[in-house]
Amino acid sequence: MTAADPTTGVVLRTDKLTKSFGGVRAVDEATTEFYQGRINGLIGPNGSGKTTFFNCVTGMIRPDSGTVTMHGKNVTRWAPHRIARAGLGRSFQLCRVFPRMTVLENMLVAVQPRSLGEYLANSRNSESVDKARRMLARVGIDHLENSEARDISYGQQKLLELGSTLMTDPPFVMLDEPAGGVNPSLIERIAVLVRELNEEGTTFLIVEHNMELIMSLCDHIVVFDRGRQIAAGTPDAVQADPKVLEAYLGV
Amino acid sequence: MRSASDERTRPAPALSAAAGGVGGTSRLRPVIAIAVVVAVLALWPSVAPNAYMLSAGVVVLNYAVLATGWNIMGGFTGYISLGHVAFFGLGSYGTGLLVIHTGMNWLLATLVSALAVAVITVPIGFAALRVRGSSFVIVTIALVLVLQLIFQSWSVVTGGSGGLVVPRPFPDMLRPEHHETFFYIFLALLAVTLLVWTVIDRSRFGASLKGVREDEDKAESLGAPTGKLKLIAFVISAFFVAVAGGFYALWFADLDPLFQFRIILSSWIVLMALLGGVRYLFGPLLGAIVVGSALEYFVLEHGDTQFHLVATGLLLGLVVLFLPDGVLTGVAQLFRRFRPEATSIREVSAEDLRRQQEEQEAPQQPTTSKEASDDRG
Repeated sequence: MTAADPTTGVVLRTDKLTKSFGGVRAVDEATTEFYQGRINGLIGPNGSGKTTFFNCVTGMIRPDSGTVTMHGKNVTRWAPHRIARAGLGRSFQLCRVFPRMTVLENMLVAVQPRSLGEYLANSRNSESVDKARRMLARVGIDHLENSEARDISYGQQKLLELGSTLMTDPPFVMLDEPAGGVNPSLIERIAVLVRELNEEGTTFLIVEHNMELIMSLCDHIVVFDRGRQIAAGTPDAVQADPKVLEAYLGV
Repeated sequence: MRSASDERTRPAPALSAAAGGVGGTSRLRPVIAIAVVVAVLALWPSVAPNAYMLSAGVVVLNYAVLATGWNIMGGFTGYISLGHVAFFGLGSYGTGLLVIHTGMNWLLATLVSALAVAVITVPIGFAALRVRGSSFVIVTIALVLVLQLIFQSWSVVTGGSGGLVVPRPFPDMLRPEHHETFFYIFLALLAVTLLVWTVIDRSRFGASLKGVREDEDKAESLGAPTGKLKLIAFVISAFFVAVAGGFYALWFADLDPLFQFRIILSSWIVLMALLGGVRYLFGPLLGAIVVGSALEYFVLEHGDTQFHLVATGLLLGLVVLFLPDGVLTGVAQLFRRFRPEATSIREVSAEDLRRQQEEQEAPQQPTTSKEASDDRG
């Protein structure tokens, strides 16, 4: 793990990305870069526009202006499924699973068929099921595969969401508060998983409030305040930045 | 030694193939179930006491096709359409007009008309599926009301309120024979509709549609092109409803916009599907049999009052209050109550988990050989 070096590939770049809700500029000409092969972090005080930024990048919200470039492609205003198929997996801030489907079925929805034949193929074909089981074992909820997702605990749902996001091996994964509302042992498990996957080559962008987690996990951190980037760099550099302290402490 | 034990162990493989046939035979299980159900339903003409009961059977089967066809959209995607009667009406008028003006074969006319309805459904669905929830319901209601007005006022083509008389496809048949023939025609259509539902249910297409039902944004973020998939389900669903409309036109032989586009038929379809259970292959069929029979009974006993309409409302209220997921779901939950708990609240740390997984992998050899020896004995 070397220090963040901006010369490595840029996985995600936003240029003057802007989104207003009424008179509030939730994201205000945000120009940022996140790097290939790293665990990138995005932090900022409440209401600094992190989640709106996240939603603009993933296509859930259409930005008013500016561009989003992912894996070198301009994906601005693409539909979310197109962005997902371009190699982005994402989780939601409030954990979202398919409540009245079993854990295994939840995983199988994440398969991305490309042709009519693939769409008509049995969703429980052995290849997909094996892949799903392997991923469930990896996040540690393989013993629950036949339970309905609404019946498992919140932490397990969180793991399920992570598992379904990883089902298609996306090269770039964005996690919105993976540690939110999760007990400490589970946070540690998620952190270990993120590190392992990163070592295998997956790039991460993590939005998180848990400073301890983000400072220990991330190589490169972007700090947001009032809808734009105010600082970026290694955890140490960011923590020492007076602008960051000012934003958080309001001095 | 082998031949000696042969006699004794012979039933074992057959039994395990029947019970544990999760792999190969499970693909055929719904097909067999459909064949059995259709075979049982096919007995009705031979037990029906009179021509009226036979015609009631045709009406119920028509409902069953409508509800099962509706369920291709409503059950998988969770989009509650009250507009499917529009496709029923369009299918029936299309078939009627084709038979009258071109003298086309009745079956061909029905298929051509249903395909035309499917084509019309594409722009309708494209517009209507942009909104979710109750807004979608309202858009579909509007569709029915607009079409009803058009077909009433455009009397040069549709015959307006005076009705459209469709020539019978089998003019030589007596009334009971005619009912019996159409009973089997509707039954065949029901079998095809059930098969299509099953195929979708098991496919990846179906898995994505269910994702839309559960959480559309989540399905989209997993890479499912939800807009396209919903539209395809909508068109397939409309096609089967339109075929049912065509057969209805040929059977009933007299079309009136007030009846072909009546919104209450739409609500009956939804009631049937909900009552039976939209997650089950035979849910809408069960609902159609229950509600269809009840409707026939109420019309027969209280037809001179409006009580048969009130009864529908009461039934809908009861379903929503006590069986919101349908009869079959209720039954399944009852069964599940007697089984051990499926979930456990296991939350372990990363190290514990890894240790457990390693332990599981290590002693795999002895366990499998033990199982094998159990099998032999």
